[in-house]
Amino acid sequence: MRFFRQDLHTLAGAYALDALEPGGELTRFNRHLSRCQSCASEVRGFREVATAMAFAATTEPPAEMRDQVLAAVARTRQLPPEIRTHVRPRRTWGAAPWIPWLSGAIATAGIVLAVLFGFAQAHTQQQLNQARAQNQALAAMQARIELELDAARAHDQALAAILSSPHAVYLSQRTTAGGVTGVVLDAATRQMIVTTAGLPALPAGKVYQMWLIGQVKIVSAGLLPPVKSGQTTPVIASGIVPGDKLGLTVEPAPGTAQPTTKPIVDLPLPV
Amino acid sequence: MNPNDSDASRFRSATADRRGERDLDDLLIHVARGDQAAFEALYDRMAGPVYGVIRRVLRDPSQSEEVAQEVLLEVWRTAARFDPAMGGAATWVTTIAHRRAIDRIRSTTAAAEREHKSADVSPPHDEVAEAVEASLDRERVRRCLESLTEIQRESITLAYYGGHSYRQVAELLQVGLGAIKTRIRDGLIRLRDCLGVS
Repeated sequence: MRFFRQDLHTLAGAYALDALEPGGELTRFNRHLSRCQSCASEVRGFREVATAMAFAATTEPPAEMRDQVLAAVARTRQLPPEIRTHVRPRRTWGAAPWIPWLSGAIATAGIVLAVLFGFAQAHTQQQLNQARAQNQALAAMQARIELELDAARAHDQALAAILSSPHAVYLSQRTTAGGVTGVVLDAATRQMIVTTAGLPALPAGKVYQMWLIGQVKIVSAGLLPPVKSGQTTPVIASGIVPGDKLGLTVEPAPGTAQPTTKPIVDLPLPV
Repeated sequence: MNPNDSDASRFRSATADRRGERDLDDLLIHVARGDQAAFEALYDRMAGPVYGVIRRVLRDPSQSEEVAQEVLLEVWRTAARFDPAMGGAATWVTTIAHRRAIDRIRSTTAAAEREHKSADVSPPHDEVAEAVEASLDRERVRRCLESLTEIQRESITLAYYGGHSYRQVAELLQVGLGAIKTRIRDGLIRLRDCLGVS
């Protein structure tokens, strides 16, 4: 196993030069890269070498290319930004993709309703008042959505901060209920990202609750979001002290002060 | 000040602040917001390296032009996906260019049209250097490539400029796969130090 990892690590050079053939090896290295901080920074350095090699090959392109590209640009729509998580894009980590969409839909609905209210206002004062009340409700709803969006962005930034920490380590453990818990632990800030795959979905009224199980006390580290298509989106838990283990139990919603069932995860957290 | 510092700043000045214009990262951020003037400025600085590296890999001028156009349009389309935390704008753009050139040679039609001889090991001298900066880059890269062992140099140039996979490089140089992986990596580490990349 150790040999295998070492072997993967030496692929960093070939990878940075795009010299891995598509297939298993490339997929394995990509996966390795998302977990190996030192490999990622080595690849970044090698890519800069490749950049210098590209600049060294600078060749004046045919003159007509400039006009052609600029004309194509003028009629080509740009892609929207991705919500950044600093994780491979195929993973469904990070902010729920429906939030910006929903906020757009609500904004559109707001415009439509406002126009309708415009007609209503022309009729009676009573209807006007009603419309105002509804507009306010709508504005409040939009404000809530915006708050959610802000929270999602802040969550993303917090995830990115942990993932890009030089002290981040990746830990994982199978749960006794099936599936795997993955943790990115940043010992410097004593925070961690917790994510799971393959945990059984829970019936209504039950939640997965995380615990920091210390030698003297057990404190709640919050709830996992509900299992969706076999996964839970990443959550951040903080306040880890040396000797803590991550515990996971099934509890009645909305969580309990102390665990009431046997933990299905018991993962030491080296901080 | 040790000599590495000046090398490092030379590298930055060559790749990030070319012709004293706005920083490339900054340009790309403006491109992401739909700024066509920023894209024109980006084009003027990146079209040469983009076309050049594609030309080194594909050789055929008309195919190279086609791929270069696709790459530059892709830069426009996907500029919002550029993440400065993962490396600079110059690296982002040249990485796309090199990958698209590789994609092209791996598609079967292009493979048939392509010359099956090994890549030149030294950077080209037959092309007129357009910009002073380009010839400076060329000179520095050439000098650094020369500091490598022959097998390191050949495996890196065959992979990058030749567009060969490391398995093909191993075949061409009659060296084992494990050895080639290591030579490429060791060579890149030496190049990185020689070029003063952090």
